[in-house]
Amino acid sequence: MKYWPYLLAALAVAVLLPLWLAPSGYLIRVLTLALLFAALGQAWNIVGGLANQISLGHAAFFGLGAYTSTLLLINFGLSPWIGMLAAAGIGALAAFVLSFPTMRLSGHYFALATLAFSEVLRVLASSWGSVTGGPAGLSVPFSPDSLLMLQFKSTRPYYYIILAALLIVTAIFVAIRRSALGYRLRAVKESISAAEVIGVDTARVKVIASVISAALTAALGVIYAQLTYFFDPDSVFGIISISIRIALITILGGVGTAIGPIIGSFLIVPLEELANLLLSSRAAGLSQLFFGILLIAIILVQPRGVLVLIRNIVTRARRRKPS
Amino acid sequence: MAFIQAVLDGLMIGGVYAVISIGLTLVFGVMGIVNFAQAEFLMLGMFVAYFAWAYLGLDPLIGSILSFIVIFCIGFLVQRTLIQRVMKAPPVAQIFLTVGLLIVIENLALLAFGSSFRSVSTSYQTSSLRIGPLFVSVPYLAAFCMAVLSGFALWLFTDRSWYGQAMRATAQNPLAARLMGIDVERMQQIAFGLGVGLTAFGGAIVLPYFTVNPTVGSQFVVLMFTAVVLGGLGNVVGAVIGGLAVGVIQSLSALLFPIQLQNLVLFLVFIGVLALRPTGLVGSSR
Amino acid sequence: MTKAVTPHVRGVFATRRRVLALGAAGLAMPFVRRASAKGAPVNVGVILPLSGANAQFGVNSRNGIELVAEQINARGGIKALEGAPINLVIADSTSTPTTAATVGQRLITQNNVVAILGAYASSLTLALSEVTERRDIPLMTMSFSDQITGRGFKNIFQIIAKASVLGAAQLDGTVAIAKSAGQTLERIAIMYEDTAYGVSQAKGLRDAAGKLGIKVVMDEAYPLGITDVTPLINKLRGANAQAVFPASYLNDGLQIIRSMRQQSIAMPIIGGAGGYVIPDFRKALGEYAENVLSIAPGNYDLAPQLTDAFRKKYGYFMVHEALEHAVCLDVLAQALEIAKAADPAAVRKAMSEAEFKGGWCDAMPGGVVKFDQTGLNTHAVPMMVQWRGEDLVTVWPDQLAKAKPVWSAA
Repeated sequence: MKYWPYLLAALAVAVLLPLWLAPSGYLIRVLTLALLFAALGQAWNIVGGLANQISLGHAAFFGLGAYTSTLLLINFGLSPWIGMLAAAGIGALAAFVLSFPTMRLSGHYFALATLAFSEVLRVLASSWGSVTGGPAGLSVPFSPDSLLMLQFKSTRPYYYIILAALLIVTAIFVAIRRSALGYRLRAVKESISAAEVIGVDTARVKVIASVISAALTAALGVIYAQLTYFFDPDSVFGIISISIRIALITILGGVGTAIGPIIGSFLIVPLEELANLLLSSRAAGLSQLFFGILLIAIILVQPRGVLVLIRNIVTRARRRKPS
Repeated sequence: MAFIQAVLDGLMIGGVYAVISIGLTLVFGVMGIVNFAQAEFLMLGMFVAYFAWAYLGLDPLIGSILSFIVIFCIGFLVQRTLIQRVMKAPPVAQIFLTVGLLIVIENLALLAFGSSFRSVSTSYQTSSLRIGPLFVSVPYLAAFCMAVLSGFALWLFTDRSWYGQAMRATAQNPLAARLMGIDVERMQQIAFGLGVGLTAFGGAIVLPYFTVNPTVGSQFVVLMFTAVVLGGLGNVVGAVIGGLAVGVIQSLSALLFPIQLQNLVLFLVFIGVLALRPTGLVGSSR
Repeated sequence: MTKAVTPHVRGVFATRRRVLALGAAGLAMPFVRRASAKGAPVNVGVILPLSGANAQFGVNSRNGIELVAEQINARGGIKALEGAPINLVIADSTSTPTTAATVGQRLITQNNVVAILGAYASSLTLALSEVTERRDIPLMTMSFSDQITGRGFKNIFQIIAKASVLGAAQLDGTVAIAKSAGQTLERIAIMYEDTAYGVSQAKGLRDAAGKLGIKVVMDEAYPLGITDVTPLINKLRGANAQAVFPASYLNDGLQIIRSMRQQSIAMPIIGGAGGYVIPDFRKALGEYAENVLSIAPGNYDLAPQLTDAFRKKYGYFMVHEALEHAVCLDVLAQALEIAKAADPAAVRKAMSEAEFKGGWCDAMPGGVVKFDQTGLNTHAVPMMVQWRGEDLVTVWPDQLAKAKPVWSAA
């Protein structure tokens, strides 16, 4: 593949860049968050891109992950790494359970059902105070810098952990896409009825994809909790702040492509920060407004995402060059 | 007795939910788009009625008609300039366009109107009628009556007028409609305007007992979507029944479960209906 | 009419160029020195929800802070720093805790803030405090969730009493007021919206009722965005309570009061601050707001000589969040005078050790602000306020009261 040199260069930059930045500074935090959302987008990409199931409720798994590991940590002192395994398990289970009512749904109906599911979890987290801490949220108990407890004072270690996570999730995405499962998912995406005809167990295939996606998302939720030290039901089960954002990042970047979520995240996250930086003190709502207008603009210009947009521009530019 | 009171209250507020939901289902029925920004038009309708009350002294029940007209025009334009462009795009693009619209409208309202909550004061806000041991809240009753009137008006439109029938034709089969000489784009614009206008109307009639602020839309999203799904996306009569059902479910669930969980009950009903009968409990459609 | 756009304040002595240069330097170099030059503006971070559901309260808080900043700069800035003016760096936390934390990180790194004021809502403040604690930047807040001061943090300073204390005071105050009117309180109803604010207030009330042996005959949480309160009021009707304690914001609070009237439920109403102590409450209810009681962490009539300036500038009385943030900034200014350096560590030391008097501290109970080891202001005393006409009047405890409380069945 002709992209290898570029990818390696990008990877080198990603690995070396933090060494130049203040280890607890603002820039590294923004980059770390961008990496996290890129990983989340990539996990979503498995269902949204490969299976074409637009889930607007991935926050459900994200939140389940964050709560599972943090509750295990608070109540039993378990390391978040173990918590991550538990979270992945619970996320997978939740996806499995959710697959029953949503089996025959697609398009708008599927999106609405997933949204409702994450809201159910949010209300539960908020009202079951004795277990989840209720609407006040949970604080991760303090521990000195430790890899075992996944807690560090500076942001740099988190950056590398999340970078590794992004690489792992991307590798899983590419592996699925190339595998037999990937072929079957593509068949389902093109036409469910045709896929059934050629013997693809469409239900099983969709469930497997969503289970993998959910497990990864839940694991990332654990990392999020350890990064921010505090979360409440609204921040981890949030529709706009998590679910829609994840889907948006992947779609804007280029749904179904491995690089899409990464492009999308490194576009959206810094842009939101920039808007907040420049506009939020001028007038209330201005930065969000700008963001919404941008979203509409991109959808109107190229609904298939920035990647396609760039490719088109590049192709058009090449055509203009004298050959 | 508590049961009857709960059902009565549920039906009355359900009437309002019905009007709000008809708009959403209409948009889906004619255009196949789930408008995630629908609740924002509700908020705009409430603001129009509020300003009509504050500056023109119009009672919100009358102001609601003004809301309908203003938001209809806005909706018409929005469809023409924005939504039209994604009619042929994949559902993903449509979903996110309306999400973007949601963010834009809410923050434009925040910039224009500020963040404070506005409330109207009407003479009947704190009165109620007594029918035996039952209480009937006057603002609820007034809203319910307006809802019924608007439902009737809508029925007249869709059943008796040429435009209404043309819209229904467009909903059933756009290609055939076009072949019959119907301007399908114009119908979609009208349908969208009508849809958001009705939701705006619904918002205005609840203004007497609700406050308005740019974020108020989110409080009605769950209810609207549940009502629409219950009745079947695209089914107007279904939306009415769905709205009433949501009101009653919400009301009755308070007798059995903590009120804090009333939305939970609705969500579970929502998922249940989607799982078992995605086309809704009422008849068959799309 | 509310202003939609309010430009943020710039220090009197800071020229545009200097501020731009500082900003550009901050953006270009992640490593920025902390020492400030003579008379150079002191950057104070202000992180509040300026958009989203809490925008109204965020804007009120910002107004309070801006008023005090103007006053400080008008009289010559921080004397110990050669007249350095206060430069507010205002940012929108939005309603997402992660954003609040990231914004905090930005203000610390890029703008070199010496301290941060924020973020109104407990969840935002909790997220923000995780950043400020680890970067050793003092955070001053009027959020009152018990968790805020319950984590052993050294850089958090909470200017008002915590939720459990507020809840207990709400009940104690009510019992006292009822007694002075000749009634013994035995059965109460509690209803509360289900975010951190309502839940923590209700817990405080519940625990206090348990201690006093008062029966809680109704105890219901409801979703914040409730669209129909009739089930709630129906329950209230059947509960046989003597008084009702709703912890609500404005929308739900208005619905509750109006519904109670519709059903002719006449009993004293003791709100839990939130929507019960803002001008919009009175504006919406008119005469029906009369004599509604509420607990409040602070009230403007304790120091009209100070708070009238707010009313004159912004057109509405100084709501408690504006007042408390104003006091925070004044305390910070006093701490800077003591520390003699725009250095966060020195400021933190001054804030945790000194006793603050005078200036805006007069608007706090006792006129004194002193923080204990957990960061709580030990002199903060909640008060009961009551609507009289267009004003909120402090009616309890006696040493703060400006008028006698009225215990009436609304």
